[in-house]
Amino acid sequence: MLGHRLSAAAAAAIAIVLAASTAAAHAFLDHASPAVGSTVPGAPSAVTMWFTQQLEPAFTTATVTDAGGKSVASGAAQVDPKDPTELRVPLKPLPPGTYSVSWHALSVDTHTTEGHFTFAVAGR
Amino acid sequence: MDSLLIAARAVHFAATISVAGVFAFLCFVIRAEAPVPLARRLRWLAVASLALAALSGAAWLVLLSARISGEGFTAALTRGAAATVLLHTRFGTVWSLRAGLAAALAVLLALPARWRGKGWRWVGLALGAALLGLLGWAGHGGATPGRPGELHLAGDIVHLLAAGAWVGALVPLALALAETGEAEPGGGAAGTGQIRALVWRFSVLAAVSVGFLLAGGIVNTWFLAGTVPALIGTLYGRLLLAKITLFVAMVAFGSVNLLRMSPRLAPAAARDAGPLRAALGHLRRNALVEAVLAALVIGLVATLGILPPGLHSEPGWPLPFRIELALLSPPAVAVLALAAALAATFAVAAAASAAAGHYRRAAIAGSGLALCALVAALVLRPAAQPAYPTSFYAPAEPYAAASVAHGARLYAENCALCHGRDGKGDGPAAASLPRRPADLTAPHLFAHTPGDLFWWVSHGKGGVMPGFAPVMNPADRWDVINFIRARAAGILSRTLGAQVTRAIAPRVPDFAFETGHTQHTLDRLLSHGPVLVVLFTGPPPPARLAQLQALRARFATAGPALLILDLDPGGAAPEAAGMARVEPRAAAILPLFRSPADGGETDLLLDRAGEVRARWTAASAGGPVAASALTVATEQIRELPPAAESHAGHVH
Repeated sequence: MLGHRLSAAAAAAIAIVLAASTAAAHAFLDHASPAVGSTVPGAPSAVTMWFTQQLEPAFTTATVTDAGGKSVASGAAQVDPKDPTELRVPLKPLPPGTYSVSWHALSVDTHTTEGHFTFAVAGR
Repeated sequence: MDSLLIAARAVHFAATISVAGVFAFLCFVIRAEAPVPLARRLRWLAVASLALAALSGAAWLVLLSARISGEGFTAALTRGAAATVLLHTRFGTVWSLRAGLAAALAVLLALPARWRGKGWRWVGLALGAALLGLLGWAGHGGATPGRPGELHLAGDIVHLLAAGAWVGALVPLALALAETGEAEPGGGAAGTGQIRALVWRFSVLAAVSVGFLLAGGIVNTWFLAGTVPALIGTLYGRLLLAKITLFVAMVAFGSVNLLRMSPRLAPAAARDAGPLRAALGHLRRNALVEAVLAALVIGLVATLGILPPGLHSEPGWPLPFRIELALLSPPAVAVLALAAALAATFAVAAAASAAAGHYRRAAIAGSGLALCALVAALVLRPAAQPAYPTSFYAPAEPYAAASVAHGARLYAENCALCHGRDGKGDGPAAASLPRRPADLTAPHLFAHTPGDLFWWVSHGKGGVMPGFAPVMNPADRWDVINFIRARAAGILSRTLGAQVTRAIAPRVPDFAFETGHTQHTLDRLLSHGPVLVVLFTGPPPPARLAQLQALRARFATAGPALLILDLDPGGAAPEAAGMARVEPRAAAILPLFRSPADGGETDLLLDRAGEVRARWTAASAGGPVAASALTVATEQIRELPPAAESHAGHVH
């Protein structure tokens, strides 16, 4: 019982020490569709990424490539004018396989960030 | 390239602060038309600062464009990156506006005195303040989204303007003091009266500005460094601490001026020219020392602005221990708070006494401060926990199904030999070891940060466990840690029942699922509120499914959302009945949160942080979850203190 209480207290302490305000001074990937690392049953028509901060369209890009490194985008990556935290890459019809997305973002406070993730399309 | 950008930023900050400061000095300290020689010097100071601001602003734009586009300095100009930044980014918009303001200021300063009009100083102050304040939109503060962003931006602007009013007015003050010293070589009652009024008004301006600087600075520190590890463990945080130290030194010099030098300007003390001149010299020298310290602060600010804020870097923890305040009893916390309050009082008293030259009083207050520190150290001792350089690392791999599933494989290959297949510390090799391997299933696991575990997995523990850094890359090590934590969370969750727990709550890893052809994730669903996850191991009985459908309809508006899953890999989830399909990896790890004794159904009520707060099973006395129990539990979850952002798997 004491162990429980101690661990609860410890966890609370950690949470307090680490309780970070959610401010983001750089644009980081918040979530994506298809989800980062996930497997989707059907081919998605686009990859959409949501960032923690507003993006500068002029300097924000993303590429989607297949296992062979060939681009599978059907158009350029676009920042949504209505929601500048959203970046969308339209896709060609994807056969089953693993695809990797790399993004390069400039936030409105002039900081660049980049990252990559993969998703998979399952065979039917 | 970066050092050039930092230099351009530093010069630009300093020059802009100086422009605004000259007008603040004219409006708030001189308050009338300055005597001609001083007016001329101040005008030249403003013109030179403005020219420097324009040049350094242009350099900032070009260097930033080169950095953003990844091109060289000249390529940024010739190939259009600078133009794109100027015309198509928010930074460019802010810069265009500021260029307009600078042009207006140039016109104002170029006008002959008789054309300027009476209120020209106030016009200049407004333009200078706008030129300075707009810098807030070019910094970290302008980019935080939503309501906190507005607060952060406001904090930034207040900070900038206060810096302009105090720091920017230091050089004008030194000029004015030099001027009065020359103009009134013999002192004279009228002259000293003017100087005293001037120094007094400057002190008021400085004191008010320091108050605003502190307020803005605290807001900024909270947003950008926010935590103790971020403050002392990252380059950003350490530079910020250096900046605060320099700021304290500046305030100290200012206090000496106010408390010790200005009384010497009093009429009685100023009969002789000698002491008066000495006091004036001290005042001027201290103002210039403050200005030099301010220049160092501005250099740090210029550097901080291009670094990632402390909250977004991995903090290297420099101490062999960490303090966990939650381990302290309430009386101990009260003693600590009292000691802190007393220490602050003693510190202020000691500083004020020293500045005013009362060294014995300062020594007494200093001893009081030391005593408070000793008491605080004694009280904090039991709250000290061992810590490692990586203790406050955030997991580099998200706490999600993919990572946990991969970690499970790595665990079986690398860890099970000693820690056992199920993590109880009873692997085949355990008996031959000098010390029993740790039981990784005990709730005690959560007393350690993920960063503590990362240290042990990387570098070994107790001279028995080997370090895995040579054979596993960091991502793999985080996967193993995510798996270990998910397994312990699952075991802990089995101890929960219908009664909502307030203690440590085990967190379910994120996973993706589909309804229809749409993909969702648990974390996205949780962002709308609590979720009831209903796990079946096989096709659910149609009658139960109908009940759950009714439950979903009933809680549709108030929440929780219902997520009904069949973990049977061969099972065809009937989507028509409102069930979702999970990807195979999630189906493999979710059984960590079940027990064979549960029967066919396990219900997990998750709070917004994804932590299991209540649990029902088909086999439990009250049966699986029903509307009344869910209403009560959901109500209790809402009453819980808002969950601190969970550290497990939160990745920036």
